[in-house]
Amino acid sequence: MKLDVLDIRKSFGDKEILHGISFSVVSGRAMGFLGRNGAGKSTTIRCLMDVFRQDSGQFLLDGQPFRPWEKRIGYLPEERGMYQKNDVLGQLVYFAMLRGADRASALKTAHYWIDYFGLSDFKKKKLETLSKGNQQKIQIAQSFLNEPEILILDEPFSGLDPVNAQVFKDTIADFVKEGRLVIFSSHQMSYVEEVCDDVTLIHEGNILLTGDLKQIKREEGQDKLQLSLAEGDLDALKDQLQAAFPQLHITRRNGSLILDTRGQDLQAQLMAWLAEKEVRLHSFGLYEPSLTDIFIRKVGEQA
Amino acid sequence: MKHFSTVFNYELKTQLTKKAGIVTMVIMMILALLGTSVPRIIALFETGRGDESVVAADSVDAKAAYVLPNEDIKALLAPVTGPNPRLMDSREDLVAALQAGSIEVGFVVTPDLGYEAIYQDRSMYDTRDTAFQSALTTLKKAQLITSHGLTMEDFNAIEGTEAQGQTTILGKNSGTTYFLTFILMMMVYMIVLMYGATVSSIIAREKDSRTMEILITSTRPSALILGKVAAAGVAAVIQFGLVVLAAVIGFQLNKSTYPPEIAMMVSGTLTTGYLLTFLFFSFFGFILYLFLYAALGSTVSKMEDLGSATGLVQFLFIFGYVMASIAAQTPTSTLAVVASIIPFSAIMVMPMRAGVITVPWGQLILAGALMLVFVAFFAYLSIKIYRWGSLNYGNKTRLTRIVKEALRRENR
Repeated sequence: MKLDVLDIRKSFGDKEILHGISFSVVSGRAMGFLGRNGAGKSTTIRCLMDVFRQDSGQFLLDGQPFRPWEKRIGYLPEERGMYQKNDVLGQLVYFAMLRGADRASALKTAHYWIDYFGLSDFKKKKLETLSKGNQQKIQIAQSFLNEPEILILDEPFSGLDPVNAQVFKDTIADFVKEGRLVIFSSHQMSYVEEVCDDVTLIHEGNILLTGDLKQIKREEGQDKLQLSLAEGDLDALKDQLQAAFPQLHITRRNGSLILDTRGQDLQAQLMAWLAEKEVRLHSFGLYEPSLTDIFIRKVGEQA
Repeated sequence: MKHFSTVFNYELKTQLTKKAGIVTMVIMMILALLGTSVPRIIALFETGRGDESVVAADSVDAKAAYVLPNEDIKALLAPVTGPNPRLMDSREDLVAALQAGSIEVGFVVTPDLGYEAIYQDRSMYDTRDTAFQSALTTLKKAQLITSHGLTMEDFNAIEGTEAQGQTTILGKNSGTTYFLTFILMMMVYMIVLMYGATVSSIIAREKDSRTMEILITSTRPSALILGKVAAAGVAAVIQFGLVVLAAVIGFQLNKSTYPPEIAMMVSGTLTTGYLLTFLFFSFFGFILYLFLYAALGSTVSKMEDLGSATGLVQFLFIFGYVMASIAAQTPTSTLAVVASIIPFSAIMVMPMRAGVITVPWGQLILAGALMLVFVAFFAYLSIKIYRWGSLNYGNKTRLTRIVKEALRRENR
């Protein structure tokens, strides 16, 4: 399956929130939809789920207009909520049936996910009697009901402790392995970096970049070297390097120097210079930027 | 309407298994049983009281005292006061005895059979002064009749003379049908307020708890609204059906103690025509109000705003109740006719009119058709407003703007 998001525009009142969003998601690869708070992630997802109707643009699934109610979709909204006064099992069965399951299948899938999250003792309890963490698990469980073909998760990691986050990451990885289409939004870059194959960065309603994460990292790290010291003054070294190689663009980041060679093959010369100066290195190699680095740089370019 | 039955079953089960609802229904069933057993309970008390009344007739009121002008008056009043009444010399003595608490009531009688009744404190149910006035009036009439050379028998014969005739009622006798019609109207009143509040709070709670987004991305709003309204309707029929059943059982068990007029009243009111009119307008009017409550429940973001949001529909409904009360007195007035055709008030006014008069067919058909059109339109509108409400949190919006926006939006 391939989901194409094509030139989506959405305004609230006179203010346009999404300015022509376009990206694609394919099944078997997890897509991380990244952006700061208020960037337009949830609005895009709500348009995708037909909660909001976009002003223009379209969503296509394998070339056909995407109608969420015609597919088995697992959806976790950003604003979490379920029936507090109703029992856990009953409402999961209800949600599964609303998404097309018959009663027997709904019961089976609800039991499976409650057991999966280790909440078997709470099946007949009212949701409000569960701890916040366990309520969060039930919220996630509702999005996994009915073997969804497509998973759309809005900020799934928010509120999860590290242990539950790991359980969740493993589950997502399983879904991806099974060839399902997975898209989730987040502003927590580290989680996305661990789970996603593809990323889309959104900033103030515009797409900054989209594509294969490894490819993006490679491209972002192209012509750049990273150097860190085992011993010595990093700032002094930066000055010396700049004097010796004026064509280099050097920036300091997190206790290391990033050397942008701007397309020139300076690697051998640099190594020779470092050896000659007897610089005590901790590491020296090709630079691979983190997602956070890429995001900050891209947002910075927009400012 | 793929998931209508799923929503309906879930909502119905939730409503029927609510502890508060079960307790309320059990209490109402007990009250219905007790209410229909009232004639038997009264009969039990009256049997015991019969002997006491015989004793009371022969006894002198020990808590009353009299100031009488002479022996003739004393003899004349003997049937009222008893042969040995407690006499006092003056009004002052009477007042002193009242203030001392030795008597409860005192009577000062004048020679022309006028009187003054004096109480220290008079209880709400004390009728001794009016009974005394009645007795003195009879004595005065007897004096006048005698002074005109007649006997009491002559007088009674004259007074008992009346024209012979009979009343034939071709339609309905509102004197007998009003009571039961009013009870049924009150039942509708309670059902609409109870279940209307239930539907609006279910929807407002879904919105408040943010469950709505999961629901509207799982199925269509039409299935959700229609399922919820239908569940509330069926829950009302089941729960109030049990109350009516309890009343019928109570009536059957105590039938023998009911005066024949009651049985006549029931059979005179519950004709097939009336029952059909009542069921049609009450049911569809109820559904209409449920859609209104559902729509208004969708417009609030927090539960605490629900009361003010549903104020308008409550006003409409109470307007209908007032109109029905007016229609009971003047069922053929223009106001009553118009109110029985407008669906918001027709729910109570039309059954009330149909209970006390024979409503022309033209009015029934027009009101019925209008009711169905309104139910369909407000079902559509409530689905649109529900969809609108699922996207709007926070700021309060005017109802006219909500309706405009809800209808403008291209909903699926």
